[in-house]
Amino acid sequence: MYRYDEFDHDIVQNRVKQFRGQVERRLSGALSEAEFRPLRLMNGLYLQLHAYMLRVAVPYGTLNAKQMRQLAMIADKYDRGYGHITTRQNIQYNWPELTDVPDILQDLSDVEMHAFQTSGNCIRNVTSDPYAGATAEEVEDPRPTAELLRQWSTMHPEFTFLPRKFKIAVTASKTDRAVIRAHDIGLEILRNSDGEVGYHVIVGGGLGRTPIIGVTLKEFLPRAELLPFLEATMRVYNRYGRRDNKYKARIKILVQETGIEEFSKQVEAEYASLKPSEIAVSDAEVKRITDYFKGPDFADLPEVDAGYQSALDQDKDFAFWVENNVADHKVVGYAIANISLKVSGRAPGDVSSEQMRSVADLSETYSFGEIRTTHQQNLILPHVKVSELHSLYKALKTKNLADGNVGLITDIICCPGMDFCALATARSIPLSQAITERFIDPIRQRAIGEMQIKISGCINACGHHHVGHIGILGLEKAGVEFYQIKIGGDASENAAIGDVTGPGFSYEETVDAIERLVDYYIEIKQGDERFIDAYRRLGMAPFKEVLYGAG
Amino acid sequence: MSTLKHKGKGPQSLTANELREGLNVWLTKDFEWSRDFSDALLSEDADVIEKMQTIGDRDTDTNLVVGVYFIDVSAETGLPSRYRERFRVKGPSYDTAFELNPNSKPRE
Repeated sequence: MYRYDEFDHDIVQNRVKQFRGQVERRLSGALSEAEFRPLRLMNGLYLQLHAYMLRVAVPYGTLNAKQMRQLAMIADKYDRGYGHITTRQNIQYNWPELTDVPDILQDLSDVEMHAFQTSGNCIRNVTSDPYAGATAEEVEDPRPTAELLRQWSTMHPEFTFLPRKFKIAVTASKTDRAVIRAHDIGLEILRNSDGEVGYHVIVGGGLGRTPIIGVTLKEFLPRAELLPFLEATMRVYNRYGRRDNKYKARIKILVQETGIEEFSKQVEAEYASLKPSEIAVSDAEVKRITDYFKGPDFADLPEVDAGYQSALDQDKDFAFWVENNVADHKVVGYAIANISLKVSGRAPGDVSSEQMRSVADLSETYSFGEIRTTHQQNLILPHVKVSELHSLYKALKTKNLADGNVGLITDIICCPGMDFCALATARSIPLSQAITERFIDPIRQRAIGEMQIKISGCINACGHHHVGHIGILGLEKAGVEFYQIKIGGDASENAAIGDVTGPGFSYEETVDAIERLVDYYIEIKQGDERFIDAYRRLGMAPFKEVLYGAG
Repeated sequence: MSTLKHKGKGPQSLTANELREGLNVWLTKDFEWSRDFSDALLSEDADVIEKMQTIGDRDTDTNLVVGVYFIDVSAETGLPSRYRERFRVKGPSYDTAFELNPNSKPRE
């Protein structure tokens, strides 16, 4: 994985010193809160509903064991013993004190981490496929591109005060595990008919209060043109994006209001005015970055492992875990192991410091010290020998990390909601826990099959409810929470925004309502049809009737 | 000049966050700040509210607290009128910290 060069080290160290000085000046009163707020946000520090919250960047969701141990140390030393994996593959702490944050940033910098671009109207931490470098589906590892974008966007002088935040995701597989169509810019690495590798550029996607699926800006962008083309796109957005209304300031609104054809012309005109050679990086630099992601030295392993087959036969829980949590690897004899952070009774995405250390240890034993975070709020060990999956599973089990529910109904994406967030209108964590309890039976989960429930505690949609097969939006009226249900959303390469079913439900009614939808689906499903497929086949009417009755 | 805007109805409480620790606090009868809402000064008296505002401005200027604002309090329940503010008073209904450290309880 990428290692800091001298420039990275200097930038991060200087930022820590700078922020330490800013905090000192804030505490002394030399800086007012109005002056300090944008500075702290540039370092990932929010003031939330009950306390400060620090969001730490995990570029493209890649961590090593040493970094994970440091995150655990920070959780214990400065916070309350846990962290929360976010839908941008970052990790956040809910209870830091302002006076400790410079030390936290120093501790992060010691392991080549920081909190840049986790807040503010800048290009945010670039996300990617958590299976990057491990899946056979990919054209190439998307992380060198993501790293290039990280370096290009970090403290980019033109793009530090954009009209609004800007999110980029990169994937290199047809299967979209990074929700690229719900990003300001989504990049799909692909090959053209001549076999050249380049980018399908998607623009203007996003969730929030105006959910929009992104549209194609460029069917195929040659690799060398990536940075100049993105620079041109950002310039058009920076120039014409609305600054008069923060709710209409994202690029998706600009693209909608301008029209993709005209927007594309503006980008091309801007591109024509640039000198690409001044922006594009050299082949040598691309190679230098790419070399960091060459991957570990995989062993030559047999296609079939008798011990693994035997464990599948004898340990049914292990077989269930493998069925849902393990994905094919590009190298024969290896597998990608998902570690679910959707544990009964726990907030989705929360991981204790003890579990972090365990995952760090297990990554060294089983996965070359590599760990991934996912937008689905889980963890991954990307390079596990198939022959060692059973012993990994047994080790995970002792740490309450062996839930075999990845991709199933209890693998819920959930924002912090009213329990922590200053913007929330309703709780989301307790609802996710109640749904999990209702569907806790693994046999029932298996019968339901692939199902994505996503819960947001307000219209800002951090819980991605618009693209949930079942999406739940928490609202509040006259001091009472209620929940609007959407169905038909899809976060995959077939991205779709869900449709609102009708009036909302009370907190108490919502789990029953979800169960009615699921039970109806089980009743009418055809063959291996998923819930989302059944919805597409039948449309809203029968599901609505199940929820609200006839007529 | 004060940045506080008191537009509320009924009993008022003054709330903020501690600048250093970040936790929620409410102005008390002794014109100090408490993390416990049960200590909060509740008043409809215009003179008292004006003094609360003065203290809020002062403690903002002296970097003790941040984000000071008035909240409406229900005369019947003695709790904040708005759902969000009741949540600030009670603390999170769920925190993984409660599981990791059973001694850390949500505020009642």
